Amino acid sequence: MSVFVIASFCFLATSLLSLIRIIIGPTAQDRLVGLNLIVPQVVAIMVLMAINFNRAIYLDVALVYAILGFISIIAITKYLKGKKLHE
Amino acid sequence: MLITRRKLFKPLQKKRKEKVKSVNVHSKWKIIRILLTTSYLMLGWIFFTVNLAPFSLFLGLMLSFAVAFFTYDLFIEKEEAARRSLLPRIYLLIIYPLVLLTKVYLASFKMIIPVISGQSNPRVVHFRTRLKSELARVVLANSITLTPGTLTLDLDNDHLIVHWLDAKTIHSHYAARLIKGHFESWLKRIWM
Amino acid sequence: MIFIFYIFLFLSIFFAFFGNIGMLRFPDVYTRLQASSKCATTSLLSLFIGLMILKGFSSISVRILVIAIFFLLTSPVASHAIGRSAYEGGILPWRRVRKKEDISEDK
Repeated sequence: MSVFVIASFCFLATSLLSLIRIIIGPTAQDRLVGLNLIVPQVVAIMVLMAINFNRAIYLDVALVYAILGFISIIAITKYLKGKKLHE
Repeated sequence: MLITRRKLFKPLQKKRKEKVKSVNVHSKWKIIRILLTTSYLMLGWIFFTVNLAPFSLFLGLMLSFAVAFFTYDLFIEKEEAARRSLLPRIYLLIIYPLVLLTKVYLASFKMIIPVISGQSNPRVVHFRTRLKSELARVVLANSITLTPGTLTLDLDNDHLIVHWLDAKTIHSHYAARLIKGHFESWLKRIWM
Repeated sequence: MIFIFYIFLFLSIFFAFFGNIGMLRFPDVYTRLQASSKCATTSLLSLFIGLMILKGFSSISVRILVIAIFFLLTSPVASHAIGRSAYEGGILPWRRVRKKEDISEDK
């Protein structure tokens, strides 16, 4: 096993920690914070895999995933905009 | 409250726009806006396809011109075009991210102390900025988010609402001086 | 060269770990957002700097630079969007409760 595989397992373990916040978060925004933290870690795993297999095309996947994560967070916050907390 | 103030100012803004229209400098500025958007998109194309073959360059130029023709209105607003806000001073713009990067590292090391101890004193602070350009204000808000223990919650014209972990004061003037630091003077030199 | 890369990789995992711990420990949305956004940006940036040092100037490192610039631009915007949606949704920021002894000392 190379260093990259071990490092990506470390990132997998830390992203499981942020999955806990998504499950127990009391409000919708708390769950979004967890989602916002999972996206960079998955991008880090993808970049490490691209370096491990030495293929530049995997980096395109990482960039597209980063763009999709950003857009999804903006879209969900737009959707939550009109809603008050206790209604 | 913010919404009502915006509604009050709406008729004034409409009048100003009509004045600008009567001068009719738009056709000139439209071409400049399209060309600037094309060059920014082209830069992104060259960076991503690390390929200097003439066919690839031609294809990128055509595609970025087509995208710029439809979306220049979103990238560069009408009022922004006239000011000297689109062509920043390049040498300062290259130094600024390096300054920001060191600040980000220091911020993250400072962030670890409240994470371990669990001690924090968060407050919400309001203050104003003196920057004129819309782009410079956005960059200021983003750099405030990246620096130690501060997070921009809202940006309305020149009014910033900032959440401050470990607040030392709630007085607007002193808080502004502590949070903005050197960023405002840097950005004033880059974008006016 | 590979030694510098190991240092940056260690820093990256370290920051990712502490960002997650901070997000689990802090009391409300805003403080959690502070911990998570800063630590995630720093962890990803240090990983990318390490990989760029490892690979030198090649097609891979230029693409990594593009992803790094993209993250530096969008991660504050995303955290700002979440913070504003919480602020407009009426979630009050958590404040430290002062003990009775502190208040009596002030008076």
